Amino acid sequence: MSVIEANHVSKIYNPDTIPVHAINDVTLSIDEGEFTAIVGPSGCGKTTLLNLIGGLDTVSEGQITVSGVNIARLKESDLTDFRLKNIGFVFQSYNLIPVLTAKENVEFVMLLQRSHQAAMDDRADELLAKMGISEVKDRRPAELSGGQQQRVAVARALASKPKFILADEPTANLDSHSTASLLDIMARMNEEEKATFIFSTHDQRVIDKARRIITLEDGKIISDVRK
Amino acid sequence: MIPSLAWKNIWRSKRRSFVVIGAIIVGVWALIFIFAFYNSFIEAFSRNAVNHEYSHIQVHHPDYLQEPGLEFRLTAEEALAETLAALPEISSWSGRQIVNGMIASPKTNMGVQIYGVRPQDEMRTTGLKEQLTQGTYFENVSRNPILISQQLADKLKVKEKSKVVLTLQNLDREITAAAFRVEGIFKSKSPRVNESVVYVRLDDLQRLTGVTALNEVAIYLHQSEQIVQVKDSIASQTDDLVRSYREIAPEFDMMEQQSATTKQILTVIIMLALLFGIVNTMLMAVLERTREIGMLRSIGMHKRSVFSMIILETCFMSVIAGPIGLLLGYLTNAWLGTRGMDLSSYATALDEYGMDTVFYPSISGSTYPVLMIVVIATAFLGAIYPAIKAIQLNPLEAIRKL
Repeated sequence: MSVIEANHVSKIYNPDTIPVHAINDVTLSIDEGEFTAIVGPSGCGKTTLLNLIGGLDTVSEGQITVSGVNIARLKESDLTDFRLKNIGFVFQSYNLIPVLTAKENVEFVMLLQRSHQAAMDDRADELLAKMGISEVKDRRPAELSGGQQQRVAVARALASKPKFILADEPTANLDSHSTASLLDIMARMNEEEKATFIFSTHDQRVIDKARRIITLEDGKIISDVRK
Repeated sequence: MIPSLAWKNIWRSKRRSFVVIGAIIVGVWALIFIFAFYNSFIEAFSRNAVNHEYSHIQVHHPDYLQEPGLEFRLTAEEALAETLAALPEISSWSGRQIVNGMIASPKTNMGVQIYGVRPQDEMRTTGLKEQLTQGTYFENVSRNPILISQQLADKLKVKEKSKVVLTLQNLDREITAAAFRVEGIFKSKSPRVNESVVYVRLDDLQRLTGVTALNEVAIYLHQSEQIVQVKDSIASQTDDLVRSYREIAPEFDMMEQQSATTKQILTVIIMLALLFGIVNTMLMAVLERTREIGMLRSIGMHKRSVFSMIILETCFMSVIAGPIGLLLGYLTNAWLGTRGMDLSSYATALDEYGMDTVFYPSISGSTYPVLMIVVIATAFLGAIYPAIKAIQLNPLEAIRKL
């Protein structure tokens, strides 16, 4: 069953001056439970495509539907709610909240969703255990290694059980050991939590781990391979 | 969740937060101190004027104000005396006969107001005896003693035991004069009294004017809060004009209004300084957290939550700093209120206004909560612009900065 449908999506920057086609007539469908890597050289439109899918940017042409909802038609506050309930984000620079502990960071999205404290505690503890970082749950991000911070970020993205997780270059700042470890964890989460992962990456290790590889070039899909 | 996050955010840059908190503390403390000092200034001015010049209440003939003089004497002196004697709120009262005249010494002469008083009554009512700096108080000179101020003595170039001549018009508008001997020299807290009032015994003046009646009664109460009540009681039993010292001397109200205006202006100035400080600091805090705020927005935090978070951060700082500033202000006033603020170095200038050189700062308890509200309101206003800037951030900016 498809979670994301992109139909003839284009994103044009500076349409009135010097138009730049960051995304050019992209059509794709991503099913529930997929572990997909969007790859391509720098500037090919990977991040732009993720932004469009995540509702952080608006399409110039075409439409994107997430679980049947055309996200372009949502008002700003509805779109915020939509992201909160349906999408998990993992950023290249982790972007944890520095004043909160690892566990509080994981709970944060659930707090925004006004979940019960007991449920948040259980879920955060469960995810931190799955990530293998229970012992550092009371530490703040500054006291964690890059790999640990990114695992906290993945746990945060998974916390609210979103329909899919967008991860923009999640391993770019990690060493090889941390990268391997994180990829294993995400692959396990993909199976155990049935979480749909969509990465933008040009990290070969991520590409090797992905089960579907969408290659972009100049804003167009030039290949879409399922392993 | 938002309050908790806002609270934690305050302490992420301790130095910056302490600067804001410190500025609020100093601002609040300064306001409390200035308010209390102003109050002590006005209180001292009022106290001296009441104690040594006007008393709390005065009674005159209804037409006395149009033409102060002997023509307009109290209408029912005995009845008034009985009324005053029956009022327990009254501490003392002094009947006076006041006429304008000339005082002459061998060197010079000048116009004065001659107060004919009963020495014991005047002493109890205005503390005239305590104001003597030289000589005695209607005790040692049996014939026509007079008390004059140091200022007049200097102008007339007379001293204790010197002779002066008082010239005045009697009731028949005939000029009459008599020699008086300076028995005492006083220094009043009232500049007007120092400048132009001399005291003689009522009997001596009545002999000169040919009038036995009084034209002024000054009344001193045990408690100044009872002025209105006592004034109304007296007014209900006499046809004469009964006025409180505030009605006699409108400068008291003017001073209080001026003080209130000055306090408001000072509050606005200090709060504006705080406001700009808060705007600057919070704006910096927001700009430093651009990526974080963008991330919060992108993962699903609403604009209103971001707005509330910034506002709360600022309000929390004011809630921490405000009470500390108030407490410091209170302690300062409590200390100075007991010990007094000695401004002897400004004695000459203060003397011109009939002021003491030691001030006792005091402030009404209701000022503290009002100031607290003002501080929180200022913090709220100061946070609005940074909060607006925060919600104007595009969440995409955070992603692009990855």
